Amino acid sequence: MSHDYLLLTLFLAIAIVFPLVPLALAWLWARFLSPSKPGKDKQSIYECGIESKGPARIQFQAHYYLYALVFLVFDVETVFLLPFAAMGFVKISVPSFLAIMVFLLLLVESLVWAWAKGVLEWK
Amino acid sequence: MNSTLLLLKFLAPESILADTALLVLIAGLVKSTASSRNVLLSLTLLGGLTAGACLLYFPDNVNFFHGMVVLDPLTRLVKLAILILSLVTAVFAAGSSVREHFAEYLALILFSTIGMMLLAGTEDLLMIFIALEMTSIPLYILTGYLKKSSASAEAALKYFLVGGVSAAFLLFGLSLIYGVTGCTALQDLAKVPPATFRDPLFLAGVVMAMAGFGFKVAAVPFHLWAPDVYEGAPTPSAALIASGSKVAGFLILAKLLTYGLAKAGGSAVWGAMQPGWLPVLGLIAAASIIVGNLAALSQSNVKRILAYSAIAQSGYMLLGLMAADKTGLSSVLFYVIVYALTTLGAFGVCAIVEQRRGGSQLHHFEGLHQSAPGLALCMGVFMISLAGIPPLAGFFGKFYLFAGALGSVATKDGHMGLLWLLIIAIAFNAVSLYYYLIVLKHVFVIPSSAEPAPRSPRSATGTLVGLLAIAIFALGIYPGLLLDPIHNAVKTATWFAAKAAAIATSAAQPKTLQGTTK
Repeated sequence: MSHDYLLLTLFLAIAIVFPLVPLALAWLWARFLSPSKPGKDKQSIYECGIESKGPARIQFQAHYYLYALVFLVFDVETVFLLPFAAMGFVKISVPSFLAIMVFLLLLVESLVWAWAKGVLEWK
Repeated sequence: MNSTLLLLKFLAPESILADTALLVLIAGLVKSTASSRNVLLSLTLLGGLTAGACLLYFPDNVNFFHGMVVLDPLTRLVKLAILILSLVTAVFAAGSSVREHFAEYLALILFSTIGMMLLAGTEDLLMIFIALEMTSIPLYILTGYLKKSSASAEAALKYFLVGGVSAAFLLFGLSLIYGVTGCTALQDLAKVPPATFRDPLFLAGVVMAMAGFGFKVAAVPFHLWAPDVYEGAPTPSAALIASGSKVAGFLILAKLLTYGLAKAGGSAVWGAMQPGWLPVLGLIAAASIIVGNLAALSQSNVKRILAYSAIAQSGYMLLGLMAADKTGLSSVLFYVIVYALTTLGAFGVCAIVEQRRGGSQLHHFEGLHQSAPGLALCMGVFMISLAGIPPLAGFFGKFYLFAGALGSVATKDGHMGLLWLLIIAIAFNAVSLYYYLIVLKHVFVIPSSAEPAPRSPRSATGTLVGLLAIAIFALGIYPGLLLDPIHNAVKTATWFAAKAAAIATSAAQPKTLQGTTK
């Protein structure tokens, strides 16, 4: 029992030291060895998306949420369909097949409902 | 037969309700007119009645997946009660201020009903949580349904935030219970050796789970959402929250405590309390009775009075749960069903008064006996039944409840048993008479200052309110109408037999028993 925790503590210590050492080395390098030459490209964020323009607190349409929610729902449902497709439709028993069809029917109904309610129109 | 199909057969009522809800959603896409509202309502009622017929048609007792889905006379009875309460709510909705997206409103009532029915028919911690969420999420939406009313939005936000936090508490509590005992099925929990129940972690889990359920049944100190929700929500939504959701909540709380955690009760006897859920329940019940009744005294809105009265009534019902035997369970079931019918009727009267006079403040009820004598009489029946005055059903329910709680603990050892709770309950029941009669004073005594409104045509809501009042009256005179089915159903609840046997064996060693008491 105590042995397990010892390993865990060791692991924790290594996990803390491992990222700190390169960071410390980089800091030492920048502090004592490299010349300071800041520039536009050097200061830019690297591989972290594009730089933001303007403040984030702006008004945008609430409709966006509806659109995004419907997209999210259908996006996730696709994942549920994948196992059925992966089984090749050959080994599926009749009740399972019916279950898939019911599931698809639910998706179709929700799409029809969202469409008729005007969720998909960008006003 | 394939197990999926078998499951579908026994969950046929729930499946039919789900199909009905989907059908109503599609039917609601047709352009909404007054007649299409009636079509939608008829569809809902048809689906509900079919589901009810299915419930009665499959009399088998089944237990799926180790208690995940259970069907026995007890769950069938409660499911039927929930179904009836929800259908009445649906009829109320047709005559209410909910005009926009009416089909979705009905569908949400049905979805919530499915959650309540699943909740009533499960004996597994995981399913309890999922069914509870299935019940609550549609209720949050139903509360905030009046998009243009800020009170409705505020109520929905409060309900949602408090509900979310309490769901987290419940889940964490259940996970602690699972962590200590290693099982989620109530039938396994009941077999866990009693030594486990002394684990502080387990007791923390029990208290957290009770906080979650305390929110569901609006018991002090988890009650603060209730007055705002009852007042701000559309009246049918509030009626559903106060009736169906409460019936399901009390059954599952009873199952969890008296079945799964039967041995973890401890003792709430005055002067000899022992850790467990009984003392917690006792304190919650006492606080609910005191706070609910006192806070109701200063309200000026009838719906808020009903909310605080609901809190107090929850306290009485928790008292019945503390009996933890067959009599206690039957009395709680009888009381909660009668209470649900009564409060549903009172909300129906509020809905009609709101339609005619534009609000449900006390002064809106003035002179009701002149403009609508029938309605005033019904309100009188509901209020007097809530106050517990014979010969109405509320009196008999309360009597049975208190007698059950008193008789559950033997008082021969010189201690008072649960008498301290009963004294609080009866004293504050006298207090409650004041605010119920204040409502009736406005209905019957104070003449209306406003111009008498033209008499409105008879509505479906009014008819149902009348039927509910007749039911309350009939159940007061012949309680057996409801009590006999409940007795027969509770008789099949096998878990109390195991508990009685456990008590008998522990009574065989009186010395060890005394040792633990002192």
